[in-house]
Amino acid sequence: MHVGLFVTCLVDTMRPRIGFATIKLLEAAGCEVIVPEQQTCCGQPGYNSGDRKSAEAMALKFLAEFEAFDYVVLPSGSCAGMIRVHYPDLFKDDPALLARITALGQRTYELTDFLVNIAKLKKVPGTFQGTLTYHDSCSGLRELDVYKQPRALLAKMPNVALHEMVESTTCCGFGGTFSVKYGELSTRMADNKCQHIEAAHAGAIVGGDLGCLLNIEGRLRRNGDHTTRVLHIAEVLSDSDLEAP
Amino acid sequence: MQNTSINFKRQVTIKLADVKLQGALSRLQTRFVEGRAAVIGEINDLQETRTAAAAIRDRVLNDLEYWLLHFEQQATARGAIVHWAETGADVNRIVAEIAARHGVRTAAKSKSMVSEECGLNDALELAGVEVMETDLGEYILQLAHEAPSHIVAPVVHKNMEEIADLFAEKHQLPRKTDIAELCREAREVLRPAFLNADMGISGGNFLLAETGSVLIVTNEGNGRLVTTLPRVHVAITGIEKIVPTLEDVTTLLRLLPRSATGQSITNYVSVLTGNKDSADHDGPEHFHIILLDNGRSSLLGSEMQEMLRCIRCGACMNHCPVYQNIGGHAYGWVYPGPMGSILTPLLGGLENAPDLPNASTLCGACAVVCPVKIPLPDLLRKLREKQMERGMKSRQETFMLKAWAWLALHPAIYAMATKIGVRLMRILGGKEKILHHLPGARGWTDGRDFPAPAGMTFRELYKRGVHK
Amino acid sequence: MNARDKILSKIRNSQARTAAGSVAGTVAQTEMRDSYLALHPRGPLPPPLDNLVAGFKERAIKLSSDVMEASDSKDVPILLARYLSERKLPVSGVCWPSLAGLPWSTAGLDIQSRPAKNQDLVGVTGAFCAIAETGTLMMLSGPETPATTSLLPETHVAVLDPRRIVATMEDAWNLMRKEYKQPPRAVNFISGPSRTADIEQTVTLGAHGPYRVLLILAPL
Repeated sequence: MHVGLFVTCLVDTMRPRIGFATIKLLEAAGCEVIVPEQQTCCGQPGYNSGDRKSAEAMALKFLAEFEAFDYVVLPSGSCAGMIRVHYPDLFKDDPALLARITALGQRTYELTDFLVNIAKLKKVPGTFQGTLTYHDSCSGLRELDVYKQPRALLAKMPNVALHEMVESTTCCGFGGTFSVKYGELSTRMADNKCQHIEAAHAGAIVGGDLGCLLNIEGRLRRNGDHTTRVLHIAEVLSDSDLEAP
Repeated sequence: MQNTSINFKRQVTIKLADVKLQGALSRLQTRFVEGRAAVIGEINDLQETRTAAAAIRDRVLNDLEYWLLHFEQQATARGAIVHWAETGADVNRIVAEIAARHGVRTAAKSKSMVSEECGLNDALELAGVEVMETDLGEYILQLAHEAPSHIVAPVVHKNMEEIADLFAEKHQLPRKTDIAELCREAREVLRPAFLNADMGISGGNFLLAETGSVLIVTNEGNGRLVTTLPRVHVAITGIEKIVPTLEDVTTLLRLLPRSATGQSITNYVSVLTGNKDSADHDGPEHFHIILLDNGRSSLLGSEMQEMLRCIRCGACMNHCPVYQNIGGHAYGWVYPGPMGSILTPLLGGLENAPDLPNASTLCGACAVVCPVKIPLPDLLRKLREKQMERGMKSRQETFMLKAWAWLALHPAIYAMATKIGVRLMRILGGKEKILHHLPGARGWTDGRDFPAPAGMTFRELYKRGVHK
Repeated sequence: MNARDKILSKIRNSQARTAAGSVAGTVAQTEMRDSYLALHPRGPLPPPLDNLVAGFKERAIKLSSDVMEASDSKDVPILLARYLSERKLPVSGVCWPSLAGLPWSTAGLDIQSRPAKNQDLVGVTGAFCAIAETGTLMMLSGPETPATTSLLPETHVAVLDPRRIVATMEDAWNLMRKEYKQPPRAVNFISGPSRTADIEQTVTLGAHGPYRVLLILAPL
């Protein structure tokens, strides 16, 4: 299986190790991973802010770079949702493009969804030990039906104890530009999430979308919690020892 | 009702700091979210039923003129008088005229959000008609001179203590100390209002084209009283509320109360058709139905038409993490939450509610629970697109979006810029690897730290072959 | 142009149609609408119930109605008398004319056959039919079935023939269509005592309508 990896702009700039953890997991599942070098952003920030034109341009760029692969995988539910669910909306008036973009969208997966349902990963390479709680990011959950997949993978890890928090599926308040434009509101939503995390008594909060994780981490740290680890599911599953400089 | 949506941001600050309100809002989760979850599974095939409900609404909306005329014909044949109102002011004028024609001095009113759109109560008072709200929540708000903060539970923002104080003051009776006593007191105060009213005013949850009937769902019984006892009944509702058949409305009724209050059915469902017969002991002698447009027709045939499917259950606001944290008043008009964030700009002007389409994370919780499958996040996004097209976004935001897009479309420059950017931010993050302030992003850093980036981009490290 | 014509023309303009095209429509369109109204197709239905009476009782109780059963309608007054005395409720009230012949006074009750007034505390009605799916009574208004009897008194008692329990609201509509040409002035579906949850979202029984609803199943 030739898998094109779209690392996403956030992972590229903020937490490269999530990208490498993703490669490790895909290779463990028997995939040949290719990382197109010209990739940047899926266009979601513009799309969700009303800048449809920019989103269209980025969708075309994505199509050109990734159409050749058997599958495209992203360590992000919201970017995968953008491609699978929203790209077709951008080209609904162009049947030829729509067909291509839809076909590519159908081959595009969020990481855990891909590992469980396509690659059927048997053995999880990570050796993470400890308690964790899982935050279900909105787009992955509601656009791609990612809920059981990360839990199924975590269940394969004998030393991981999942402490479910209440309202794990409630939005953390990130919402891209929302987090800056409506900072107070966003902070309150993050704060609610932090309270649920605290009540779950877990050593780590884990999720599948870096945007949400940065938001949660930002509020945890501001609240004075410097101990709860904030990890991407790819990191937990691969336990990558690759410390980025 | 005056639209103050322009003040949304200021209101958010106030509402987040309102301790009483926050306490009241915490009840949304148990009563509405868990309530819905407990009964929605009773529906045999929920998704199939939602799809059928959406199709019923679309059938009407795609052919609205026909169904309206069919309704009018059937209702008129049974003796009802159908009025058409372009604006809220027209509704007020029509109701005042009806009141004058029938010598009405007092009116008893059951809950109607459409009448809130019109500001009907104030208009009737000016016309010399004494109006009594009889839905418990609306009655409390009338006493307190406040607006509803939720379309189903209008007084959700108030707690029992506040209501007890209000009743003690306004009724001049000993202060009650529990909810059941407060309810009984309201019943006793309001019963004479029903018996003495010359006119009953109600909304209409649905209009039945097949039979020319107005259908009302209520729990308290006040909806039945105001449509049974007074000699005149005026029902006010929007032109989009038509449903073709009794079977169609039954499908919608399986969803509406379950989505709204977690009830498998409301206590009362009343289907009202025409005037009383000469032999009848009860029922109004005159039945007037007012159909309000107020901007709804302009949504037909547009990419926003799906919003007109709405059956006003309130599930979208109950499940909205933004509404859950600020309540309904911050939205500034009759309709709060996700449906309000779409309707308010559409009916009252996008320029008067610039924040509403943006004050959402597009988390999608509303769309999942909407009984008629309105793609609420998509409609919010479309309003954002309209803002962009019409140049209604701030220069700063437009610049940032365009700059990011340009960068993303020029990978070499993007690589260079991000390489420098992450290094800079890494240095600023210091030993803690945390930024406490971020220029241009105070919205974030006022309440949260910003975790520093790792310092090198993925593409740099990948090129170096770090992973091998 | 009056408001009606203006609104209708706005609707037509929004949907880019002509007046002729939208109202009269093509023959095919008209037939489609007519056949939809004539067929009034049902939406997705709940799974069928094995036992309508048992299903009805279960749902009615869940919605806070009280249920009693009599094998003969003559026993209804005795059951009602017991119900009222157990709850220390007044034993006088009103009933629909169709129930005037039951032996009320023998059971120690003072039940008059007339529509309810404000001060009446017990209202005894029949029902057009009942719906098992939700434990709901269907009442049709009329000279012999005044709506106030189920509305003004604090206690509403409905005597229901179990043979008049249907599975769904769709079945109830069909029964109405079969027995009447058109709906009466008011069709009221009643599912338990009136209630409100407006204060702190706490359910309180007895808002503006009855505080309690007693359903007595008896062959009529």
